[in-house]
Amino acid sequence: MARIALTGTASLLGGRLLRRLAETKGAARLLVVDVAAPPAALDVRHRAVDLTEPAADQRLLDVFREEEVESVLHFAFYTGPRRDAAHAHELESIGTLAVLAAAAAAGVGRVVMRSFTAVYGARGQNPAFLTEDRPLQPDPSLAWARDKLEAEQHAASFSRRYPDLRIAVLRFAPLLGPRVHAFYTRILDRRVVPVLMGYDPLVQMLHPDDALAAAEAAVDRPAAGAFNVVPSRPIPLLTALHLAGKIPVPVPHPVAYPAADLMWAAGVGEAPGRFCDYVRFPFVADGERARRELGFAPRHASRDALMAYLAYRHPHARLSEAEATA
Amino acid sequence: MSSRPKVVPMRRPKGTEAAAALAAPAVEAARKDGLLVAIARAIEAGRHGITWENLAALWSAAYFSWHSEEVDEFGRDAKFTETIRPLLEFLYTVWWRVEPAGVESVPAEGPALVVANHSGVLPWDGAMITLALRHEHPARRECRMLALDMFALLPFLAPALARTGAVRASQENGERLLRAGELVGVFPEGVKGIGKRYRERYRLARFGRGGFVRLALRTSAPIVPCAVVGAEEIHPVLAKANWVGRPLGLPYFPITPTFPLLGPLGVVPLPTKWSIDFADPIPTAEFGPPAADDPILVNRLSEQVRSTVQRMIDGRLARRRSVWFG
Repeated sequence: MARIALTGTASLLGGRLLRRLAETKGAARLLVVDVAAPPAALDVRHRAVDLTEPAADQRLLDVFREEEVESVLHFAFYTGPRRDAAHAHELESIGTLAVLAAAAAAGVGRVVMRSFTAVYGARGQNPAFLTEDRPLQPDPSLAWARDKLEAEQHAASFSRRYPDLRIAVLRFAPLLGPRVHAFYTRILDRRVVPVLMGYDPLVQMLHPDDALAAAEAAVDRPAAGAFNVVPSRPIPLLTALHLAGKIPVPVPHPVAYPAADLMWAAGVGEAPGRFCDYVRFPFVADGERARRELGFAPRHASRDALMAYLAYRHPHARLSEAEATA
Repeated sequence: MSSRPKVVPMRRPKGTEAAAALAAPAVEAARKDGLLVAIARAIEAGRHGITWENLAALWSAAYFSWHSEEVDEFGRDAKFTETIRPLLEFLYTVWWRVEPAGVESVPAEGPALVVANHSGVLPWDGAMITLALRHEHPARRECRMLALDMFALLPFLAPALARTGAVRASQENGERLLRAGELVGVFPEGVKGIGKRYRERYRLARFGRGGFVRLALRTSAPIVPCAVVGAEEIHPVLAKANWVGRPLGLPYFPITPTFPLLGPLGVVPLPTKWSIDFADPIPTAEFGPPAADDPILVNRLSEQVRSTVQRMIDGRLARRRSVWFG
């Protein structure tokens, strides 16, 4: 039976996609290719393959052939920076190469790959809406973004050489909503949030429900290429923080970058200094192409995603509000 | 630790920690009731000690007293624009006594590109053109200014410009606005114009590389030449100290009779008498969008607009008897 293989099912998005597809397509049609086993209750076939091992592509090819895989949904990416950058590089850049090579050799007809709008790079010169044909120019010193960029380059190169693979790269805006745990939510969870003095870029925050709907649409539609998956409206960073009841503390940017680097090096920071770019300059992407070719229209604005996250993170807050209105 | 300090520090007693983790109800209430109620509440609550919750609620109320919770897709904030309107109207009617002429030549609906001379160190001329069209045009048209990179990247000024409706100047942004049927204002002289020395005043610099013409051709938007007289004397630039500006990331550092001599007072512009003239629109629809790739035509139109603006300026200057009284 032709199967759909999924990687990165331990991630929020990969895991939710697995559950959803198990409902809509039946667990028998799914195959989890991951080091971690899927929840036993789902009753999905599991083949343990470590994407970071040297012969991963051969292993994947065998698995794809044995299981008659027709589609590969590649979601094995880290949302946040890793201290073990070498491992992240092996998994994301080299691992993607292995997945694509095996998929091409096995004659797979559809690949859906996760990516990030952050890969465009946050720059002052960015247009108000980044379209998919915009060159990807993340900061070269940012290992996190560089690995994603390389994965995208592998995807672009395989698309050229093997058009039959029909690779769809979904560039998701940063997720925010129920069950999202990332380095930026750890910063957001604090009462006092540092911001860059004099900067207030528009930011996009994608509700996981929308992200899931887009991924699901991409599984069934044939359209290939890159697609921005973004919420319906961006929101200014400071407005978002004030809506969340945070106390933003402005830090001058010449101080913020080295301070963040220092904290990261000391092991107490959430991200290296170059990540400050993402709260300094906009990287707002345009979702028109996904709407046109994948039929995906977001149901949540950035503000809704933020509110959903706060309600999830602090359920008691909503409770006391209900009490107040009762 | 049996005795509690009189003023409870920024932390609640352990038992109510969970309830205090997020101030959503307080912050939400503060946002809805406005600043004065929030201040009253904070004073009342302050008797029982200052908490993060009070502080965040107060801060949030202060922020939303002059910002709205939603911005448009380019970051324009209707409430913020409303907040600073009195200042701009004071400058328009009292300080500079702006005298607009020919506003009706701006089309009452549909896209159009207003092309003006740029001067005055800070982008006051853009604000005044916007005000002239909003107040004097029969259709009360809202003009979106395309801001120079230099302003769109400057801390503090960049978010303020974005909230008042300015957009960073780029082909993509301009095209998106015009396709949405907006009225767009642009200063093709760019940095060369705004940083003109006093002795170069009212001599138009080169009009870029005709980017604005290509923009108009591609979107078939008519071009409305516009001449601002008076703005070139508000900050008479005697010299430029580039050795100061460069480390600060500025393309130039102006030295005027009042700046930096008088410090912050030097930022106050001189009360000259202004006039803003609009010429008849130059239609571009007849050439069709492919004409945007015809450099000869682009240059010809660019030169036509430039000479029209220069002619209007020269006419005004010939009639003007005083810099201060017109």
